[in-house]
Amino acid sequence: MTPEERMDVAERVLARARGDAIEVTVHATRQALTRFTHEAVNQNVDETNVSVRVRSIVDGRSGIAATNAFDEAALDAVAGRARELATFAPREAIEPTLAGPASVAAPPGAYVAATAHASPDRRAAVADAIFEHARANDLWSSGFVTTASQGVTIATSRGARMNYDGTDAGANVKMNGSDATGFAERYARDVAALDGDLLGARAARKAVASRAPLAVEPGEWTVILEPAAFGELLRYLTMHFSAESYGEGSSFLSGKLGTPVLGTNVTIRDDYAHPLNPGMPFDFEGVPTQRLALVDGGIAENIVTDTAWAKRLKRPNTGHALPAPSVLGPQSNATVVDPGPKSVETLIAQTKRGLLITRLWYVRIVDQRTALLTGMTRDGTFLIEDGVVTRGVRNMRFNESIVDALATCELAAVQERTGGYSYSLVTPAVKLERFRFASAAPY
Amino acid sequence: MEFDSHAARVLDTAAHHGAVYSDVRFERTRSERVEVRNGDVSGLADERSDGYGIRALVDGAWGFAASNGFDDSALDAAAARAVAIARAGAAIARYRIGEAPTDAYTDTFATPVLRDPRDVPIGERIALLLDAEKLLHAAPTITVGRAWIDLWRTEKFFFSSSGSRIAQTIVQSGSGMSALAVGNEDAQMRMWPGDRGLYQSGGWEIIEAAHLREHAQQIGEEADALLRAPQCPSGILDIVLGGSQVSLQIHESCGHAAELDRVMGWEANFSGTSFLSPSELGTLKYGSDLVTIEIDNTLERGIATAGYDDEGTKSVRADVIRNGMLAGFETSRDTARTIGRPSNACVRAQSWQHVPMIRMCNLNLLPGTTPFDGLFEDIKHGVYMEANRSWSIDDRRLNFQFGCQIGYEIVNGKRGRLLKNPTYGGVTPQFWNSCDAIGDAAAWFAWGTPNCGKGEPMQTGRTTQAAAPARFRNVNVGVGYDA
Repeated sequence: MTPEERMDVAERVLARARGDAIEVTVHATRQALTRFTHEAVNQNVDETNVSVRVRSIVDGRSGIAATNAFDEAALDAVAGRARELATFAPREAIEPTLAGPASVAAPPGAYVAATAHASPDRRAAVADAIFEHARANDLWSSGFVTTASQGVTIATSRGARMNYDGTDAGANVKMNGSDATGFAERYARDVAALDGDLLGARAARKAVASRAPLAVEPGEWTVILEPAAFGELLRYLTMHFSAESYGEGSSFLSGKLGTPVLGTNVTIRDDYAHPLNPGMPFDFEGVPTQRLALVDGGIAENIVTDTAWAKRLKRPNTGHALPAPSVLGPQSNATVVDPGPKSVETLIAQTKRGLLITRLWYVRIVDQRTALLTGMTRDGTFLIEDGVVTRGVRNMRFNESIVDALATCELAAVQERTGGYSYSLVTPAVKLERFRFASAAPY
Repeated sequence: MEFDSHAARVLDTAAHHGAVYSDVRFERTRSERVEVRNGDVSGLADERSDGYGIRALVDGAWGFAASNGFDDSALDAAAARAVAIARAGAAIARYRIGEAPTDAYTDTFATPVLRDPRDVPIGERIALLLDAEKLLHAAPTITVGRAWIDLWRTEKFFFSSSGSRIAQTIVQSGSGMSALAVGNEDAQMRMWPGDRGLYQSGGWEIIEAAHLREHAQQIGEEADALLRAPQCPSGILDIVLGGSQVSLQIHESCGHAAELDRVMGWEANFSGTSFLSPSELGTLKYGSDLVTIEIDNTLERGIATAGYDDEGTKSVRADVIRNGMLAGFETSRDTARTIGRPSNACVRAQSWQHVPMIRMCNLNLLPGTTPFDGLFEDIKHGVYMEANRSWSIDDRRLNFQFGCQIGYEIVNGKRGRLLKNPTYGGVTPQFWNSCDAIGDAAAWFAWGTPNCGKGEPMQTGRTTQAAAPARFRNVNVGVGYDA
């Protein structure tokens, strides 16, 4: 669906507002994904949908209705249902308001036609290049190649008219041997950036290097987390910068804005316009998203807000609303960690004894207020001895506060985009002087 | 049956383009949510979504395409796309994964419903939540109270080129509430029922069964009391887990481990693999003799209860663990064939838009014979824990660490003082082999989880693990807080 077609649907719904305050979101998505295992495609999908979401505000009360049908009867029904729901709710303590007119633009290159229209054969070709490295190294591969596009249109009765079209492509691969695994990933707006040969080689190299892994003792280690591993922790750190957890008092940050919270060399931003990020310039209330520093030189500078939380905390609206209704509150979805001065090779060379970690798994919050997290290493964990990566080690479980860990750290010079379970962010590798492991896995 | 002509067109088009088998699943879904936060109705939503997903098999490879376009050209395009996708996969495959099913059913199924949620006025729903949420604020430390209701209705129409025509209406309902207490550099959360609410198949009677109003004040008081409670001790101790935590333990350390697609490496890059192998069927001592875990997708109020799965296979009961021994896996048609067994109908898709895949459905630990109080009787020093708040397990489902919202010290067979931040860890088979008592049928309950994640693109599944409280010996308690 083109931006013009989406706006036409939105205008048709607005015409049914009958003087009420109304917000219409038209969201068109297409995701194709080729998933493979043991050098065969076990899942190959192409999913498209367009939904219309209507938020109606009547006398300070909100109702939301959604549909994915666009005939006149369906639009009548969705607009009517949103209004009907609003009339049932009691008045909200924070008066709901809608976004007004604003001018925003997606960053250059947000939409790449070749990605939006990539064929299943193109995704298969990337996968096939990966397969070659599995065969050549007596490994088997598991992973995916995906191409996706989305169009978001938001229009309000206060005059907001927002349009965004973006694309995204990605591939990841886990190479598997009898006693070792390795991992590589790549995400970009342009499908041309997906190089199956490069990804397959990198993952295979890690799997081969981690064969016959050594069991090492849990306890306190110096670790170097590659971007995929660090990203798993960052995802849980940025949640603390939501105005909701900040305001409710469950964030480690609550009451600490403007104070030092992390190492002085740590700067973390929310920046949709970073060239590695997908690039949506407004949020799901149609409010322009601010590019801001969450942490600047270790000082907590900003939290992210939406309309309600900005009013509640008397702070600026930073434009970080999720689609309503959401239990998560506003969220940083374009996290960027600034790079440091050293290469990851230098960080390794300057490590007397430590672990190089490719990826973490099943990271979860143990203690909310102290940002204590647990999780496992996976897919390539290596011993560093006297500045050299010497061999693979078995996986271990950690228990560590991400805030404590980032008090003494060094960041590598090259940023990468990493993605996982419902997140995507940009970060370099990081060296953490102190990281606690509690137990070991038998592999 | 509804969608007959659409289905005929899709199946004909797929065959015309070269599919040796195809099926199409039309779905009409309605999702309603009401949420209250600190006295405000913070969410009041009613969403409808209609569409269809087509699976096509070409040369042993599957293709899947989904669309919400219902005119002839959209139906034709989606069917052709599914075939083209399958063909692209077949071109690079080292081996064949799929075979065409030959069975066919013509049938209907509908969730038994005592009170249709569509008949419950919005005002009644809101009033229930506002009442309960208000009672959560039992102390000044409660900074946030929340209460919510989710109502889902899915009408599915499955057609296959082998001749199946299956119509199902699935009704699922859930509700819950939480209280967040904030004190000096501490935050403690309590939820009810269980760790995320009560989610089952059925109508408004499921919402009533949660008894939100009746328990709200107690939940608020517990959250507040946890701020002043001593830290759970660390060490090797005996523990008793409440039913909802046993449910989570089954889910993470058995349910996912026994998904045969995961065992075969189909999830390796994301959710991981499994420590289990088909070669261990009948030989692996997974748990103590008391432990029997079975698939039952016919379970009354099981949230995954249905007549058929999303491959058109009829729901069955099947063993996964029988008297402690590994006895089976959760399977699809293609995976079951590799171990010489029929599918046990564990294939589901999140929606019409998603490809069907193996999902944990209703997977239940059968009750034991010990009355609830009897679980504590011969524990000299231990911990009772209930309501999960933290869960992590490795990518082969062996090394786990879980935390609960609330704990109680057990001293000389009696439940004693409140403990905060209870955690425990272990290794799956050793842990289940340490189980020496399971609560009786009176304490057995169908705990549903509405948001289990798996697959790429990620899908959310609804799954039940019915369980009773249970006792485990010599467990590593206090992990995470012990350094």
